[in-house]
Amino acid sequence: MSGTFKRLAWVLGGLVIAMAIASIQSGTDAANLTKAGAYFIALVGLSFLTGWSGQISIGNSGFMLVGGYAAAFWTLHHPGEPVVISLLVAIVASAFVGLVLGMPATRLRGPYLAGMTLAFAVALPYVPQSFAVSTLGGSQGLTITPLSAPQWFSHLFDTSTTLPVVINSRFTAMVSVLIAALVLWLMSNLFASKLGRAMRLVRDNDVAAELVGLHLGRTRAQAFVVSAALSGLAGALLVMVSGTASPSTYEFGFTFSIALLTLMVLGGIGSLGGAIIAALLGVYSMQITTWITNHTGLGPTSWVSNKLPNLAPNMENILFGVLLIVTMIFAPRGIVGLVSGLRQKLISVTRR
Amino acid sequence: MIANILTNRIVNDIAGGASQGVIIGLVALCLVLVWRATRVLNFAQGPMAMFVTYIGMTQMDHHVNFWLAAVISMVVGFMFSALTEIVIVKPLYHKAEINPIVVMVGMFTLLEAIASAIWTNIPRYPTAPYSSINFQSSGNPTGLSPLSTFQIAAALAVMTFVAVLFNYTSLGLKLRASALAPEVSKLLGLRVSRLLTLGWGIAGAVGAVAGVVISLNPGGLSPNMLDAMFILGFIAAAIGGLDSPLGALISGVGIGVIMQLINDYWNSNYADMVAVVLLVVALMLRPQGIFTKNSARRV
Amino acid sequence: MISISNLSVAYGAITALDDVTIQAPTGAITAVLGANGAGKTTLLRTISGLVKPRSGSITANGHALIGERPDAIARLGIAHVPEGRGVIAEFTVEENLRLGALGAKTNVTSGLEEQYALFPVLKERRKQYAAQLSGGERQMLALGRAMIANPQILLLDEPSLGLAPLVTQDIMNTIKTLCANSGLTVILVEQNAKSALKISDFAAVLHVGKSIAVRPAAEVAADESLRSYYLGMAE
Ligand SMILES: Nc1ncnc2c1ncn2[C@@H]1O[C@H](COP(=O)(O)OP(=O)(O)OP(=O)(O)O)[C@@H](O)[C@H]1O
Ligand SMILES: [Mg+2]
Repeated sequence: MSGTFKRLAWVLGGLVIAMAIASIQSGTDAANLTKAGAYFIALVGLSFLTGWSGQISIGNSGFMLVGGYAAAFWTLHHPGEPVVISLLVAIVASAFVGLVLGMPATRLRGPYLAGMTLAFAVALPYVPQSFAVSTLGGSQGLTITPLSAPQWFSHLFDTSTTLPVVINSRFTAMVSVLIAALVLWLMSNLFASKLGRAMRLVRDNDVAAELVGLHLGRTRAQAFVVSAALSGLAGALLVMVSGTASPSTYEFGFTFSIALLTLMVLGGIGSLGGAIIAALLGVYSMQITTWITNHTGLGPTSWVSNKLPNLAPNMENILFGVLLIVTMIFAPRGIVGLVSGLRQKLISVTRR
Repeated sequence: MIANILTNRIVNDIAGGASQGVIIGLVALCLVLVWRATRVLNFAQGPMAMFVTYIGMTQMDHHVNFWLAAVISMVVGFMFSALTEIVIVKPLYHKAEINPIVVMVGMFTLLEAIASAIWTNIPRYPTAPYSSINFQSSGNPTGLSPLSTFQIAAALAVMTFVAVLFNYTSLGLKLRASALAPEVSKLLGLRVSRLLTLGWGIAGAVGAVAGVVISLNPGGLSPNMLDAMFILGFIAAAIGGLDSPLGALISGVGIGVIMQLINDYWNSNYADMVAVVLLVVALMLRPQGIFTKNSARRV
Repeated sequence: MISISNLSVAYGAITALDDVTIQAPTGAITAVLGANGAGKTTLLRTISGLVKPRSGSITANGHALIGERPDAIARLGIAHVPEGRGVIAEFTVEENLRLGALGAKTNVTSGLEEQYALFPVLKERRKQYAAQLSGGERQMLALGRAMIANPQILLLDEPSLGLAPLVTQDIMNTIKTLCANSGLTVILVEQNAKSALKISDFAAVLHVGKSIAVRPAAEVAADESLRSYYLGMAE
């Protein structure tokens, strides 16, 4: 029980700090924070699946699409109802798809599973694009009224100096951070729970897991459902904030599945702290890339960029591709692993 | 009568679908070769083939003819794939099975980005040595063109070469042994590590042929030209069984034909989805693929 | 001549071999006896380079083996028939044999002829998959595949495993003949001490990773006090 409270205290502390940051952010930074919250949720979903049950998915963008569309569809037909309901609808819908996909998936080993989920993510955007065009909006997608700050929230700021858009962004940032904190708290408890331990056993040793009476298939399917539900929630959150769900939404395409996998590995597979780092990395990757290129002589005025004018827009992916390969080979536990390794070294040095 | 058959819509679809299906089978074959050799599913197969296709085909800008450009692609494809195995795959054998998957996904991102940086995203259209206008039969078009006939022939030639190499030569025997039983092979004096590299090299050369052949399609040559093909190739390989080259070919052709029929009679957007549904159903029925023998265990 | 001095091997925290010293003279059969887990397989795997030792040295016909790769050691003329035989089940009998010749770069055609003369059963079944062979036939295939490489040293890990007494005797006699005809140096790891001692010139006993004695086989066979060690009844 004390563990639960300790985790709660940590999460609440973090939440207060994040809220404080959100309340003073500029419009773009608040929007980034909003995105970071959603990315965090999606990353936790993937990390849970891969890090805790040992299954790999390159298809979680598909679950995000399902959640996003479900939320948009519900909101469109039930305007004025609380946002929470839209989010719950998204969770249920994506969890259901996760169950359908998880059933065959649980019988598959690594590469088959990875390929199948990738194929799912590639094909899924075609569904709203070509099927039920009248209900799902075809390639236009669905448009809803985006989440906006309520009266009482606006009154907290000096409306003569702060633009309504900025107030709105701060509001969505807070909502996103709040939901992310809730997810963090729930998942940190789940990781410590019986199900979490079962998942770990299934990952590390499926024979032993069977011996202690765990139903392998069911445990794996449960992990899929949880992962899909979280991804769906993340997708829904993005849609509620932006106001659109379309087949070409970046986060709904398979490249985002790859981005999620990359970010998760960089942050640290199976770690909640890693997911926080990864979410921020994902949101600020463009800025980080620009900073790095400018400080390594690869910037827009360097001779390389003169020779290859198309290098700059691709620098981000080049960097992340290299980082992913290098991390997996030399530091498979990601940034979190490096940090904890350093800490252990420091401790052993100070003890001596 | 014969003329009627040759220009019949369904027959045309089957012929056209088979010509694309053979190419899907070729991509699947690369995956199978690498999988059999090293138990790694090469997620960067598509971008690797794309990259070396660019290297070869852009030589045509410098007055190199098509055939030489194709050979350059193959040679570079061989070397690039072998080098990849040495540098980034070897450190990952004996690690958790997701590690090589992740690394190859990194390779995927990296190569597409580099290709786009060097050659931009605007497609190029290498001049094909054959016309893409369909053969005519008594004034009506048939399902095949000189170009698609060439594409089928090239793919089948490569497959035959690979089949003969692996099944009827000493080198093939050594390659298969290293893949099936690396430890025993070492005890017999085989340079297993080198043979595994060679296996990757061969897959890389086969991939280059696939890339060259696909670059002659209407979509041309572009950094993500093989993404869709890779997915279809994977679906074919997974349905056929990652261990079965023949299964890869058969299910590749099957998928090609089915997709062509859907394109023609239904909606081209549905084709990819149907392929995925096929995959899911096939994997539900036989998680190890349809053409693999039930877990042949090593003794 | 193969000589192992002060060899220690550990798997993480588990010590499998502890300061083992054994010599196997040229042209003789040296049996290595010991109970389950005594470290017999580890000994052979270390000779072949599959396991890296913690310390000690191994030399074979003047070559220092430690640090060499397994395939290089095999090409020095050291053939290792691993525990469980290691025939490739998906290959035919003939493919298995060819592989042995290819690995050692010896002549395939004449090698096949020689082995078929030695093991007529293999000739009859040459087109069959190794998976379809009986245990005794598999052991012959494994022996044939090792001998096609023209080795100077043969390492055998429990050839009698899972075989009926009569078949075991047959295999042991074959080993004896091979050794006598070609001046082969043999290290024969066995739990079946009785059959092994019958054909061996020397015998070493391993007990929980330590070598207890290397003496003429007849002496070991006669020494009642050693029996409890290799039969696994010590303490
Ligand atoms: N790969 C390994 N990892 C960890 N421990 C090992 C490994 N291989 C062997 N061991 C341990 O080393 C010791 C010696 O094992 P080894 O296989 O050499 O014995 P053995 O004499 O061949 O036994 P058996 O007669 O059962 O074949 C045993 O305690 C065993 O558990
Ligand atoms: Mg043993």
